[in-house]
Amino acid sequence: MRGYTPGQLAAGALILAFLLAFLVAPVATVVYVAFTEPAGGFTLSHFGAFLDIALMRESFWNSLYVAAASVLFATLLAVPLAYFTARFRFRGALVIQTLGVLPLIMPPFVGAVAMQLIFGRSGSLNLLLDDWLGVRLPLMDGLNGVIFVESLHYFPFILMNLVVAMGNIDASMEESAQNLGASGWRLFRRVVFPLAMPGYVAGASLVFVKVFDDLGTPLVLNVTNMLAPQAYLRITSIGIEDPIGYVISVLMIAFSLFALWMSALALKGRDYATLQRAGGALGLRELKPWQAAAVYAWIAMVLLLVLSPHIGILLLSVGTVWSFSVVPDAFTLQHYATVFQDSPRMIWNTIAYCGLAALIDVVLATAIAYLVLRTRLPLRGSLDLIASAALAIPGVVLAIGYLRMFHGVTLPLGGELLTASWLLIVIAYSIRRLPYALRSCVAALHQVHVSLEEAAESLGATKTRALRRIVVPLMMGGILAGFVTSFMTAAVELSATIMLTSSQSVAPMSYGIYLYMQSAAGRGPGAALGVLAVAIVAMGTYFSHRAMRSRAIDLDRQL
Amino acid sequence: MSKARVEAQNIGARYGRNIVLRAIDLVIEPGEFFALLGPSGSGKSTLLRLVAGFIQPDGGRLLIGGVDVAGVPPWRRDVGMVFQNYALWPHMTVWQNVAFGLEERRLAKAVVERQVREALRLVNLAEFAERRPSQLSGGQQQRVALARTIAVEPKVLLLDEPLSNLDAKLRVRMREELRALQRKLGTTTIFVTHDQEEAMTTSDRIAVMDQGVIQQVGSALQIFDEPANRFVANFVGSVNVLPAGSALAQELSLSPNGGDIVLRPHTIAIAQAPGGAERKWIAGTVAEREFLGPFIRYRLRIGEAELVVEVAHRIGADGYRPGEAVYAGVDPQQARLLNSSAGGAP
Repeated sequence: MRGYTPGQLAAGALILAFLLAFLVAPVATVVYVAFTEPAGGFTLSHFGAFLDIALMRESFWNSLYVAAASVLFATLLAVPLAYFTARFRFRGALVIQTLGVLPLIMPPFVGAVAMQLIFGRSGSLNLLLDDWLGVRLPLMDGLNGVIFVESLHYFPFILMNLVVAMGNIDASMEESAQNLGASGWRLFRRVVFPLAMPGYVAGASLVFVKVFDDLGTPLVLNVTNMLAPQAYLRITSIGIEDPIGYVISVLMIAFSLFALWMSALALKGRDYATLQRAGGALGLRELKPWQAAAVYAWIAMVLLLVLSPHIGILLLSVGTVWSFSVVPDAFTLQHYATVFQDSPRMIWNTIAYCGLAALIDVVLATAIAYLVLRTRLPLRGSLDLIASAALAIPGVVLAIGYLRMFHGVTLPLGGELLTASWLLIVIAYSIRRLPYALRSCVAALHQVHVSLEEAAESLGATKTRALRRIVVPLMMGGILAGFVTSFMTAAVELSATIMLTSSQSVAPMSYGIYLYMQSAAGRGPGAALGVLAVAIVAMGTYFSHRAMRSRAIDLDRQL
Repeated sequence: MSKARVEAQNIGARYGRNIVLRAIDLVIEPGEFFALLGPSGSGKSTLLRLVAGFIQPDGGRLLIGGVDVAGVPPWRRDVGMVFQNYALWPHMTVWQNVAFGLEERRLAKAVVERQVREALRLVNLAEFAERRPSQLSGGQQQRVALARTIAVEPKVLLLDEPLSNLDAKLRVRMREELRALQRKLGTTTIFVTHDQEEAMTTSDRIAVMDQGVIQQVGSALQIFDEPANRFVANFVGSVNVLPAGSALAQELSLSPNGGDIVLRPHTIAIAQAPGGAERKWIAGTVAEREFLGPFIRYRLRIGEAELVVEVAHRIGADGYRPGEAVYAGVDPQQARLLNSSAGGAP
């Protein structure tokens, strides 16, 4: 038996061609250029040149330092919160869940400006501290600022993974340890902590990769001595031929892969979630009064920190002038008017690009999930692998690859340059967000038992009909969730956007925010545009949660 | 309703390098209720899925209604399957579930409606048409799965452990309903189960399978009374197998041609002193006793050998205690010989 139909073969071939053209080839081009002499032939000289430049060496260490420090601070924020939810019975669980989502709905580079105004050298906090105590905290100075913004923005990745991991620990695990004489700290150290470890490593490595690759935050904070900004600056100011940009790209890919590999290594053979579960989750304990005070104080502090960029950006968007003062001098709606007057195009572009990219993503993801889980198509595993590998490719690198590979290519109709059109932005978004949609669709298809499909077939439905009438409707929750996740994360993408946006007319909102934020006068409208972006993303988050919840309910009923 | 003969000729199957079916030869007569009985891993479900068309045989021929179905996909086989987990589509109502197969056959709306109503009536679920599967009990879900399959009037009905997800009481009732429904429809039915009682109570004939091989085919009576080999004897009911040449076998002198002796525990009598001459009486001691309600099971030690004896229980009859010296009475008429070289598991 062949195990696949001609239609499935064609679909697989098309997807593979798309991935090869827009993911594998551009990245290969970048790597190739980094190791090739101008005249051709293998060389390591570009790496030598990279190491000879003091600024590059500094950028390299800075990027490593910022990523590691961000993981550390994100851990400090996340671990207590995760522990509280898994261990104690208290009324803050909802707050903690909100904490987990709030930062993610605002891209870090949008919050960065607001953070500067609140925590910066002459920001609200330092003005107050200076007045009362005569001290200033260098929270936002140089690299500190990047670390502060990034850890505040990305700690939910660790929090969420830890909460899930601890939630999956069966009460019987703890009870049997207690039964055998373990308690208190030893119980936590020997049983609970090792069981939650894989979840932590998964979250932490994701934070590392995200911070290491982030271009927007350092740029907005005017920190250029890091790798991502340097790659951007080399390519945009010196030119597409400058080999140093490619060397940086290769380094960034290498570190991303390394972090993800570490995470895979840590998780290998430790998929504890699949262990049979006998009872419920870990037993929750009542808080003693002093514990309650400490827990609520910690949650309040984190909540305040997490909300600060949101409050800041809101104040900024409705303030007239905000400089050397705790809050803006006066309030106005002028900035929103400006935004709607100047850049309605950008708002429309964002919705169109991200909608299109998300659509491409769910179609590809559904097809890949089906081919991988339900057919014996040759190379089906590599489809999944390649699509997921996009996670390890920084936006800057993908964009550089596109610019180099499609340099001078014109579109068939009208003769417009491909690199100047909106098409590449959409493709970049869809490639970068494909892994999210794919995980969502694979998880959804896993929930659909094969017998549901076989029942349809034995009742006379062909493979295609069974797919349309049974499989896709049952996957709908996951497909929808994948669409929304792709849409909202694409809406706040800046790394690839900033490099692929060739003119104002094709620019999406994220680019507009960045552009506005370059000048002091543009901060107000920039913030207004940021608030609008956050509103769009927040709506997306809300709908995605609803979609996933209704799906969970459906499946609960089914089982 | 159509009835089809199902015929397997020298069929083999494998998953990768793992051989799951070997040289299966089987004829299932039109309208027959046929059970495939065996432990998990015996290949019985694989054989069922082969008939449904979800997997392809590794060799041999499969005929349904006299037609070789090699290469015919499941949706063109006209073979209805009821899945172990029912496989009801959670996003459709009961009515939509049952109508599905008819719609796929592009039947006129009025026909679909009539046949869905008829199928639901047959399984006594007419008033549940608008419910979702999740709003039904296990037994009701099982009936929807059945209605969905018989609505398309398949040539062959395949049942894959359809009762295993029900509780014990419901299982007994559903198997009676299943049998009655099959009688009414007359569809050729293949029923996969690991439960000997289920197979024996429902089926016209049974194929006992082990390790991908059919060990014996016959009626429930034949399989129980005349087991073909040790595996069948052990799998269907409890049994004493006395190896040919063992001290006990020689003492009973029941095995003139040197085959193993099969003795059902309930055919052996037990007494304090040797009884009538129609039985052969052997001395032993009670090693263990288990009270099971309807009967008491004794494990007797006779020299080096052990003999299991089951005696019907009556109020006031307390039976024998472990350690007590007793006599076991074997009725030669009830003993059966196994061909020592017959295939199957040791």
